[in-house]
Amino acid sequence: MNDELKQEFPVEWEDDHFVTRREFFKFMTFASGGLALGTAALATYSYLPKHERSFEAAKICTVADVKAGAALAFSYPRPADLCLLIRKLDGEFVGFTRRCTHLSCPIEYEAGQGTERLYCPCHNGAFSLDDGHVLKGPPPHPLPQIKLEIRGDEIWAIGIKSEKPA
Amino acid sequence: MNTPEFYRRRQKAVVIVGMMLFQLLLFFMQIWLFVMLLESMLGGHSHMALPAAIASVVIMALNLWMLRGINLLSRSS
Repeated sequence: MNDELKQEFPVEWEDDHFVTRREFFKFMTFASGGLALGTAALATYSYLPKHERSFEAAKICTVADVKAGAALAFSYPRPADLCLLIRKLDGEFVGFTRRCTHLSCPIEYEAGQGTERLYCPCHNGAFSLDDGHVLKGPPPHPLPQIKLEIRGDEIWAIGIKSEKPA
Repeated sequence: MNTPEFYRRRQKAVVIVGMMLFQLLLFFMQIWLFVMLLESMLGGHSHMALPAAIASVVIMALNLWMLRGINLLSRSS
C-alpha cells in the first residue's frame, strides 16, 4: 500500500524540506514588502477626507409632518441606514443617524423640562442635538449628522456630516 | 587540521544565522505594527497610521539591505 502510494505521489522529501538561506531571506523580504504595502495603504486610507460624504438627495417628508418636539424615523442613504429627523422645541430641523456609535443600538429623541437630547437606552449614552457630540455614557464618537435641506415645504436629506476623527 | 577557510565559513554561518533571527524579529514587529494599526483604525483612532507606515517601510528597507548582503556573501563564498 505504501509503495503504491509512493509511486502515485512521488515526493522527494529531502529536496522538499531543503530551503536555502537565500530562499528564506527572499521569502521573508517579500512578505515584509507585503506588510509594508498593507500598512502604507491603511495609512493612506486614514488620510482620505471622510468628514463630509455626499449622497444622492432623498425626500424625507413635509415640514407639516413633524411637530416641534417630535421625531420621525427614516432611512438614508440606503434602506438599511436608519436615521432620525428631529424637530427641536425651537422649530429647527436636525437629522442624525440612528445607530449609537458605541454598539449600534437605536437611539431615541428625548425632550422634557426644557432640555432635549438623543438618548441610547442600551448603555445610557446621550448625544447633543446641536452637533451630535457625546454628552454622557460610553459612546466613543459623536453621532454622524445628516445634512438637511428644506425645499419649499419638503425636507430633503442631502449628505452625511461625520465628526469622527480622521 | 582545520584550515583558515573552515573558520571563515563557520564565522559566516554564525553571521547568517544571526541575520536570519534578526529578520524574523523584524518580521514579527511588522506583523504587530500592521495588526495594531488595523485595530486602532477600526476603533476610530488613526493618529498612529503614519508612524506605523514609516516604521514598516524602514523595516522592509532593512530586510532588502540584508537580502543584498546575503546575496553578496553567497557570491563571495
